[in-house]
Amino acid sequence: MDTPFPFGLPLPTAFYLTVYVVTLVIHVVFMNYVLAGTGYLAVAYLRTGGRHLSESAKVIKEWTPLMLSGAITAGVAPLLFVQILYKQGYYTANLLLFNRWMAILPVLIIGFYALYLLKSGWLNRRANWVASAVALLPILSVAFTGYSWTENHLLSVRDPEFWGTFYSTRSQVYTEPQLLPRLLVWASGSIPTLALILAWQHWYRGDGQPAKLARLAVSGLLLAAASAAAYYSVTDDRTRMAFVAPLAAPYFVAASAGLILQAFGWGWIYWSARLDIKRLFVSTAGLLLTVVGMTVCREAVRIAALGPERFESLFPIHAEAFSKSGFFIFLAFFALNAGLIGFVLWLVRHRRRPPEAGDDASVTTE
Amino acid sequence: MEAVLYPVNDFGPLMKGLAIGGLGIFHVFTAHFAIGGGMLLCYFQWLAMTGRSQPARVFMDGYFRYLVLISFVTGALTGVGMWFTSIQVSPVTIGLMIDEFHWLWAVEWTFFCLEVVAGYAAFKYGHLLTDRARLTLLALYSFAAWMSLFWINGILSFQLTPGAWLESRSIWDAFFNPTFLPSLLYRTIAALVVASLVAMVLINMAPAFNREQREELVRRAAWLMAPMALMPALGVWFVAAMPPDSREWIMGGSIAMTLMMNIAVGASAVVGVYALVGLLRNKLYVNGATATVLCLLAFAATAGGEFVREGVRKPYTMRELLYSNSIRPDQVAALRERGLSEVDPFPLRNEDELPKYGEKPHPLLRTGGLVFREQCSVCHTLGGVNSLPGLTKGWDSDMKRQNFAKLQKLKPFMPPFAGTPNELESLVQYVEWIDQGRPETWPEPADSRVHAERLVRIRHWLDEAGTQPALVRSGPTAKGGR
Repeated sequence: MDTPFPFGLPLPTAFYLTVYVVTLVIHVVFMNYVLAGTGYLAVAYLRTGGRHLSESAKVIKEWTPLMLSGAITAGVAPLLFVQILYKQGYYTANLLLFNRWMAILPVLIIGFYALYLLKSGWLNRRANWVASAVALLPILSVAFTGYSWTENHLLSVRDPEFWGTFYSTRSQVYTEPQLLPRLLVWASGSIPTLALILAWQHWYRGDGQPAKLARLAVSGLLLAAASAAAYYSVTDDRTRMAFVAPLAAPYFVAASAGLILQAFGWGWIYWSARLDIKRLFVSTAGLLLTVVGMTVCREAVRIAALGPERFESLFPIHAEAFSKSGFFIFLAFFALNAGLIGFVLWLVRHRRRPPEAGDDASVTTE
Repeated sequence: MEAVLYPVNDFGPLMKGLAIGGLGIFHVFTAHFAIGGGMLLCYFQWLAMTGRSQPARVFMDGYFRYLVLISFVTGALTGVGMWFTSIQVSPVTIGLMIDEFHWLWAVEWTFFCLEVVAGYAAFKYGHLLTDRARLTLLALYSFAAWMSLFWINGILSFQLTPGAWLESRSIWDAFFNPTFLPSLLYRTIAALVVASLVAMVLINMAPAFNREQREELVRRAAWLMAPMALMPALGVWFVAAMPPDSREWIMGGSIAMTLMMNIAVGASAVVGVYALVGLLRNKLYVNGATATVLCLLAFAATAGGEFVREGVRKPYTMRELLYSNSIRPDQVAALRERGLSEVDPFPLRNEDELPKYGEKPHPLLRTGGLVFREQCSVCHTLGGVNSLPGLTKGWDSDMKRQNFAKLQKLKPFMPPFAGTPNELESLVQYVEWIDQGRPETWPEPADSRVHAERLVRIRHWLDEAGTQPALVRSGPTAKGGR
């Protein structure tokens, strides 16, 4: 572990960690849109009762259910690989938190249906406070899920002796000082992701308010920086060192550079008041650097928390899983289905029928 | 291989199997709706674009909305929930399954992605596209949904019939196991039936149609139930491919399994006869109330079928690899010598309630509590469904000792006891303590001579029973991989 991630690790461990990080990054992008998007909607509804939503709020309202589907679907892959990488810790944390952990399922279902309810005509006919209350449900359910994941993650890296003690208390709530700041780093970091995807959506539609989006993104960056400072102040030396140790240091630098690049990109958009490809690409490159860098740092912190002995004891388990066949069949179907997804997008773009009288050109809303 | 012990949660009066079964049934039903619904939409799109059915196009939009709201939300989340619930019930089982099949699960995930993208694209933009493009999107959605069934079906059916994998350890022998094909075909037909019945409920709910249009749509939707004629043959094929002992459970060997099997068969038969004779042959109309009752019967059939699928694996969760209580067959002999309770890192939660022996909790009761948790609690409760004190009521202490020691001989769907004679004696004492209302005092451990004699008798019974399960092996033995 004296070399940058994933080099220096045994091949099976490096391989599964890499696949885990790549799939987690995809999940994080969707998740960020949903987390910040539901927050955005909640604020918009609280301010207007949903009567005079901005164009951005309308886009978010239209797309968040799909993005939540995407987040859930994209979340399946990292959920699969985390079970190979850290089986005992992950399962034990699930079991210790028991009903509290399982509650994320009904809570997410409620939040999901609330998102569809926001798009319904029924809600438009209700009083403002009803619409505002419904708009709060998605952010509450997503925030609860995020909190539970962080709680689960932190418990999973505690030592087995602590698990035994925790089990005997019958508690289903675990907390430690770093939990909230850590959660806030992710939550505030989701705002620039939302701003960027939203900017691309507006770019595609040919509308949007560049300055407003830039302000949203930069406020997210500043909040993330403040949360990171709070996180730094409450974590132990082992966690702090994990960021600058050889395993994660290049990624920490990349994540920091990404923040600067994002800030530059958004500044450029703000001052030019334009959403064009060149400016959006700069922010996109910055965001990708930050998300990938922070995801690797997150793993480095986990590995540091486990300690070398416990982490190395997992290597034979990874090697055993690595010996199972099926990888090439996965690659073949991954390529096939990626191609088919591309074909679906092509169909939607290029196989439209000519408009007829009385056609509603808008998309179907649920 | 050393056993990995996980914390065990108390589900109170509920059997853990009921938790996973309840969620599983609900998930399977919604998943079947998603798969069959895609096929139904393809069929209706074809009817609409070829001018064969005028109301089909209008109906599709409403149907699609329900499909999205039910399958894409509840179906997707209960699917993830199945993983979480499996971890709660048996982390060792799901861990082994993940180790063996993670790449096949990853393949299934690629189809989830295609399913979501194609499904949403067809739903949101379908009305803006050419008919051919919309049909293509729906076909891709259906293909992806069915392929997700294809992959998960192979993984789940492996648990009952690992087949040639036991010798070869080839993932393809595991996947294309003896019950793979009958199970896949049966589920495909079940998916068509669920989609068709839901369509009939919705046709009757939609205010946009007159009676004539409803009749036409019902008639069209009923055609998707025509393959039900094949269900009896597929059912017989599946049963024939099951291991002989599992077959015995549903043929009267286990009253619960037989009852559930009869519910599944009976409910399927009622729906099938109604569909084939009433709807297709006599072209009867079905109103909303009848369609709803048929839907509930289909749900009952799904529930019965899933209960049986989970239950007939007993005493295993993965046949010949892992017992229901997460102990491997090859660990039993060693555990008879060493036991598990000494190495369990998780304390007994109700230790404070135990009578004291000196300053400490009564040692036999404490060990008995741990043994119950480790070996019994996955299927039995202490005072609810399938309670162990209830099942052993009326047995005297020696009967308990002998029956626990020869568990697999007493009831062939039980695994062999996997502990030391002292652990077995402790379990007997613990069950009696519970049965007697958890008294505050409990006799001190018998003097060393009496206790030692008991342990000798228990050892003798354990040796007589052996460490092997009682079931009749059907296929290749598992020696190769042990």
